[in-house]
Amino acid sequence: MLLSYRLPREPSTPRITLWRKLKKLGVAQLADGVAALPADARTREQLEWLAEEVAESGGQAGVWLARPSTARQERELAAQIALARAAEYSELESSAASATVLSAAGRAAAVKRLRAQWRQITRRDFFPPPERGRARIALQALAETIQEMAGTEAEEVSP
Amino acid sequence: MRWATRAGVHIDRAACAWLIRQYVDRDAEFVFVTDPDEVPADATPFDMRGVELSHHHGDCTFETILRRYDLTDPVLWRIAEVVHEADLDDGRYDAPEAAGLDAVLRGLSMTGTDQQTLAVGDAIFTGLYEFYRRSLILGRDPA
Repeated sequence: MLLSYRLPREPSTPRITLWRKLKKLGVAQLADGVAALPADARTREQLEWLAEEVAESGGQAGVWLARPSTARQERELAAQIALARAAEYSELESSAASATVLSAAGRAAAVKRLRAQWRQITRRDFFPPPERGRARIALQALAETIQEMAGTEAEEVSP
Repeated sequence: MRWATRAGVHIDRAACAWLIRQYVDRDAEFVFVTDPDEVPADATPFDMRGVELSHHHGDCTFETILRRYDLTDPVLWRIAEVVHEADLDDGRYDAPEAAGLDAVLRGLSMTGTDQQTLAVGDAIFTGLYEFYRRSLILGRDPA
C-alpha cells in the first residue's frame, strides 16, 4: 500500500501534521512524498484518509496497491519496518528497566505510561521483531515489582 | 431515503448508521459498495473519500454528520470522542473505551455481514448513549 503525496511548502502545519500521522502509522518512507505500509483493510483506510487530508490542504495525493518487483525488495522493506519497531521496543525495554529504581508510585506511573506506549507500538508492528517479547517481559517484570511491594505491605499490617 | 457507504463496515460507519437512523432519517436504508462509483444515484454517500459526509480536516465522519445536521447534544459528542479515537487513534481526545470498542467492531466485521454489524452496532450505541447520558447527569460513571 503506497501513499504518494505532494504538499505546498507553506503553510508548514499540514506538512508537520501529515508527518506525525505517518510516523504514528509506522510507514516506511520510500522517497520524498512516497510512504509504504503492508496492505490490509485498516492501513488502506488510514492512508486514504491521509490522502484526503492532503487534498484538503491544497496538495495532491494518491493511494496505490503496489507490489515490489522482486522478493528481495519486499524482504528489505519488511526488514526496514521491523528494524524501526525493534528500536522502539528496545527503548521501551530500557525505560522499563531504568524505572525499577523508582518509588512504588513512580513505578506505577511508569507502568501506566509504558503500557500505553506499548499499545501504540504494537498497532504499527506488522513484522514483530524479537525485541517485542523482550520489551513485554521487561514491562511485566516492572509491573510485578509493584504487586510484590503491595503484597509485603499487606503482610506488614496484618497481625 | 437510501444511504451508501463502503462495505466492510467498521466503527465510524456503524456509529454513523445508528446516528442517521436515530437523528436524521428514521426510515434510512443502507447499501454497501466497494467503489465510490457504485453509489446508487438516489443514495447519500457517507464515510467515503471525496463526499461531503466524510472525514474533513481531521474530523471523522461521525463528527462531520454531527456538525452538518447541527446535532449539539453533549452525549452525542461524548460518543463522537470514542468513535474518533477508535477510528483514528490520533490522541485528540482521551477515550480509553475506544480500544475495546474497536476490537468489538473489528470482530463483528470478521464474523457477520455488514447488515448484522449495523444491527449489533445499533444496540451498542443505544446502550452507550444511555450510559453517557446518565454519567453526564450524575457527574460520574453510573453504576
